[in-house]
Amino acid sequence: MSSPVVGPQTLRPVTLSAVSLFCPAGIGPEGARGGAPGPVPGFQPVKWIPDRKGLKLMSRAVQLGVAAVRQAIALDGTLDELPPLRRALFVGASPQTGDPEDLRPALDKALGPAGFDLDKFAREGIDLIHPLWLVKGLSNNVLGFASAAHDLQGTNANWCDGEDGGWTAILEGWDAVAEGRADLAVAGGADALIGAEGLLGGVACGEGAAFLVWRVARPGERVDPRPHKGQLPPDGSDLGRLGAATWPVRYARAVLGGGLR
Amino acid sequence: MHTVSPGSARGHAGALAALGDEAIVITGVGVLSAAGRGLGALSTALRADAPCWSPITSTLPVPRAAKVQVPLPPWDAPDGPFPDDRKAVLALVALEDALIDAGLAEGIPYGPGRRGVFLGTGLSSVTPAELAEDVYPHLTADQRFDRPAMARDLAPDRAAPRRHLPARVTAAVAARVGAEGPTGTNFSACAAAAQAIAEGLWALRRGEVDLAVVGGHDSMIHPLGLLSFVVLGALSPGFCRPFDRGRDGFMIGEGAATFVLERLGDARARGARPRAVLLGAGTSADAWNATAPHPEGAGAELSMRRALRDGGLSADDVQYVNCHGTGTPLGDEAETRAVARVFGDRVPVSSIKGAIGHTIAAAGALECAACVAALEGGFLPGTVGLDELDPEIAVPVVQAARPAALQVVLSNSFGFGGQNCSLLLGAAPPAGSAAP
Repeated sequence: MSSPVVGPQTLRPVTLSAVSLFCPAGIGPEGARGGAPGPVPGFQPVKWIPDRKGLKLMSRAVQLGVAAVRQAIALDGTLDELPPLRRALFVGASPQTGDPEDLRPALDKALGPAGFDLDKFAREGIDLIHPLWLVKGLSNNVLGFASAAHDLQGTNANWCDGEDGGWTAILEGWDAVAEGRADLAVAGGADALIGAEGLLGGVACGEGAAFLVWRVARPGERVDPRPHKGQLPPDGSDLGRLGAATWPVRYARAVLGGGLR
Repeated sequence: MHTVSPGSARGHAGALAALGDEAIVITGVGVLSAAGRGLGALSTALRADAPCWSPITSTLPVPRAAKVQVPLPPWDAPDGPFPDDRKAVLALVALEDALIDAGLAEGIPYGPGRRGVFLGTGLSSVTPAELAEDVYPHLTADQRFDRPAMARDLAPDRAAPRRHLPARVTAAVAARVGAEGPTGTNFSACAAAAQAIAEGLWALRRGEVDLAVVGGHDSMIHPLGLLSFVVLGALSPGFCRPFDRGRDGFMIGEGAATFVLERLGDARARGARPRAVLLGAGTSADAWNATAPHPEGAGAELSMRRALRDGGLSADDVQYVNCHGTGTPLGDEAETRAVARVFGDRVPVSSIKGAIGHTIAAAGALECAACVAALEGGFLPGTVGLDELDPEIAVPVVQAARPAALQVVLSNSFGFGGQNCSLLLGAAPPAGSAAP
C-alpha cells in the first residue's frame, strides 16, 4: 500500500513561544528542578482564577489546568493580536468524578438497613442533588472554562487517554498551527491524583498542569519541529503519578530547566 | 501564509478531482442504535420516520429511552472484560461490523505502525452498587469526602478505577486491529465522536497513518446516567421534539458507530468499496460559558464554516444539514440561527434525535452514519417528533423523510462545555470509475 510521508498540506513554521508549569516542585521556573510526589506548593486557585462562580464548579485538576492556561497565555503575550477564532486549545485530562458530596443528601435518603434503595434515591433524593453535579464531572471542563476565560474560539479537543492524553494534546496543538487550522494553540494537560494512590496500586501520586503555546513563527524566530517523546531528556526527579499532566509537565520542565532548548 | 485546504475547486466532483487518490473515504461502517444493528437498519428506520424508542420503567420522570434492543455478547457481565459497561460492548460490536464491512476482519494490509484509532466516549456508568458500597461509606461525618480512604478500600477487590478509564475501549479496539500508530480517546461531551472522526481524517491527510478506525460509543441509560440529566433539566418528560414549538428537552439514547477510513487510492488498490467521502471537518469553541450554549450559535457557525473550508467547498455545495438538534429550547434555536447565517434558507435540515435519541458522546458517530445512509440511499432523513414547527426556526426543516439525490451533506455535533464539531461528507465516487 502506498504510504505518503507528507500529506497534501503545506506546513507552516511553528515556534514554541511560552510554557507554563505547575507541579509538585513549584510553579513556573522554580518547578523545573527537583520535587517529590505531592501537591503543587503555594497553589491558591483564587489567585489565578478570577471567575469565582466558575471556580465553585471546578475540581482541583480543573483549577490547576485553568490556571496553567492563564499563565501560558500571559507569558506568550500575543493573544490579543489574534482574532479569537484563530486561537486553539488542546487539553489532556482525566475523567472527573463530580463531587461525591453533592450526592450525600440523596444517598442519605436512599440508604437503609436493607441497603441502597434506587427507587427511594430517585423519588426522594432527586431534588436534593446539585443540578450541576453532572457538569462538575465532565472531563472537558478545563477546555470549557479556559476557552471562555480567554475567548479561545478556535479548533480544540479534549483527550482522555491516561498519561498519553497530554501528549496527544501537545502534538495536536503543533499540528493545528502547522496545518493552518489555528495561528496560536495552547496545548497541555492537567491532573490531580493525590488521594488516588490506593486505586493506582499504591504508587505515589502528585498533581500538576502544564501548557505550551505554539504559534506561527515570525521572521527570525526559532522554528520548532513537531515534538517527539525521544527528544525529552530524562527527568531525574520522581514527582509521582501525574496522569494527563505527565508529558506536559515533563516537557515544560525540560524547556524551563534548559534541557530542551 | 499557505492555504491548507485540500482543494479549492467548487462542487463535489471538483473536490474529488482535486483530492484524487488522497481523498479520505469511509470503507467500513458498523452501527448499533435503537434502530437495530447495521447501517441498513438505521437507514430503514430513518426512511420510515420510525420512532425507535421504547417505554422504560423508572422512578425517575423518564418515560422512554432509545435503547439498543438487539442481542449483545455478554462482555459486560461481571466476569467479562468490561463489567457493567454497556457502551464498551456496543463499541466492540460496532467495530467488528465495521471491519467486516470494510473487508478487513481477517487481516489488515497496512503496517501496525500505520494504523490509528480515534474514538469518542462519555462519562462512566457508575452503578448504584458502587454508590452505595464504594462512595457512601466514605462520606464522613464532618461533611467531607474521604477520597484516600475510598481509594484504600477499593484497591484490593474492586474493578474500579479500571472500569472507569475512558481509554480502555480505545486500547481494546487498538489491540483488535493491531494498531501501533496514534490513538486518541476524545472526551468532549456530545462533540466527542465527531471530533474523534475529524482527528482520524487529519491523521490520514498528514500521512501519519494509512488506516484510521474512528467513531464513538456511549450509553447513559443507567440509573446514574438518567439521574444526572434529570437534575440538569435536560430530558423531556414527554417526547423529544426537535425544532417543535413545544420542545422541552431530549430523549436519552445509546449506541455506537465505528468507521474505517482510508485513502481512496489505497481502498481501490485492495478492492474495497468506498461508501462515502469524508471531505472535511471543523471544530470550534463557544468560548462563552461552560454551562450554556452561545445564544446566537456563534461557535456552531464557526465549526460549520471551518468544515466547509477544510473540505474546499462552499455553502452552495451542501444539500443537507444533519443538525445536532437535541430538542432543547435554547440549543435548537441557536443552532438553526447559525445554520441560517451559513446556508440561508436554502438547505434542508433535520434531526434524527427524535428517532434514535440523543446518544451523547456517540451522537457525532451515529449521525455521521445517518449521513452515509442518506448519501447512499438518496433520501433526506425526517425529524421524528416534530409536529408544529417553531416559528423562530428560520431554516427549512424536513419533517418527513423524502427522496433526494445528495452529493454533499454536513453533520453537526455540539458538546456541553462549548465544544463544536461539524463533519462534511460527500457521496462515494462511482464504483469502477477511474481515480479522478
